[in-house]
Amino acid sequence: MKPLSPTLRDNYRYVAFKLSFEDPIVTRDLQTEIERTAKSLFGDIGVSKLSIRVVAFDGTKGLVRCDFRHVLELQAALASIGKIKNSRVCVTTIGTSGTIKAAIEKYLQIEEKIRRIISSYVTVPISGKAVRVYGKEIDIIPEDRKTVDRADVQFIGITIDDNERLI
Amino acid sequence: MHEYVDIGIHAFPEGADTPKRFNLVANRLGFSEIAVTAHSPFWSQFPDSSLPSGVEIVAATVRDLRKKIAFFRGMSTIVSVHGGDERINRAACKDDRVDVLMHPERGKFSGINQVTAKLAEKNEVALGLSLDYFWKTQEMQRSRLLAFQRRNVSLCQKFGVQVIITSDACSRFDLRAPRQLKALARLLLLTDREAEIALSEAPLNIIKRGGKKTEANL
Repeated sequence: MKPLSPTLRDNYRYVAFKLSFEDPIVTRDLQTEIERTAKSLFGDIGVSKLSIRVVAFDGTKGLVRCDFRHVLELQAALASIGKIKNSRVCVTTIGTSGTIKAAIEKYLQIEEKIRRIISSYVTVPISGKAVRVYGKEIDIIPEDRKTVDRADVQFIGITIDDNERLI
Repeated sequence: MHEYVDIGIHAFPEGADTPKRFNLVANRLGFSEIAVTAHSPFWSQFPDSSLPSGVEIVAATVRDLRKKIAFFRGMSTIVSVHGGDERINRAACKDDRVDVLMHPERGKFSGINQVTAKLAEKNEVALGLSLDYFWKTQEMQRSRLLAFQRRNVSLCQKFGVQVIITSDACSRFDLRAPRQLKALARLLLLTDREAEIALSEAPLNIIKRGGKKTEANL
């Protein structure tokens, strides 16, 4: 079949996003969750207009394609994702661009971020086991699970300023 | 450039992240400031009681609410009321010591009518629009609550009640960037300008005035 001429093709926008997660997420699960959330918010007709597709995803950052008239709807759908495979996530949009190349150059440059897996017992500000460090941020598995159950998460989040002994 | 503020953050020990962690994540998302608001039952659990800059009063009766407002007004910058019950919503809007009525739609009905809206406008009580329904609730419950929120927003627009947008976050996973909150607010019939004010000027004014409302309006 002869391809459509450039003027007749669909126009897309590429939305760069960043994913915060408790457990690692794979692209297929992310794509399914975005479609499910968008469908729940806008219905079948709405999703068909959005033309959503995850173009790239490396585990923490990625690009989602959508129709150029419906960027705000895609942003709303991404903001409405709270859990993937029963694990808490937060999808934050970084910016929007008209081409994949520009989106990668502008928003998806590699960030030098130290991520360490540690295992040390802490008592301040809560008793528990410190398990992960991202830059200044530390995740703790608490002994008393009341707070994490209430907030529906796995870890208590503190910073290095909260517990200087962990530096 | 707008200064975005979220005044509905529930930090550790009520929520799962310490205020410093919230501050770090919120700054990265584009907020210039956050205000930690503790629900009144958790107030005493904060190791340093000067830490939360606001309190969200949970009351069972109107009498209880008035008592708690009198108790907390002197010590916290922001006094908000945990809405849901119609009598509590109305009593909160009637009281000029209250800054924000949070999520009045959490009961069986939308929680606000024209009388409550007029009282809120007269006493400068803002309506707190929690957008966490989008990611915390199930489909059927969400559509019901969003319908209530849309009705409340249109009442606020009609009677000139100030609206503020919060993510009502209990953990960093509940925080959303201002641009995302604006996209969600559009689904609740707020215009871009109104959403902008609800995220920046309105909460900033509440923090700045620290409970001292203008005499002319009261």
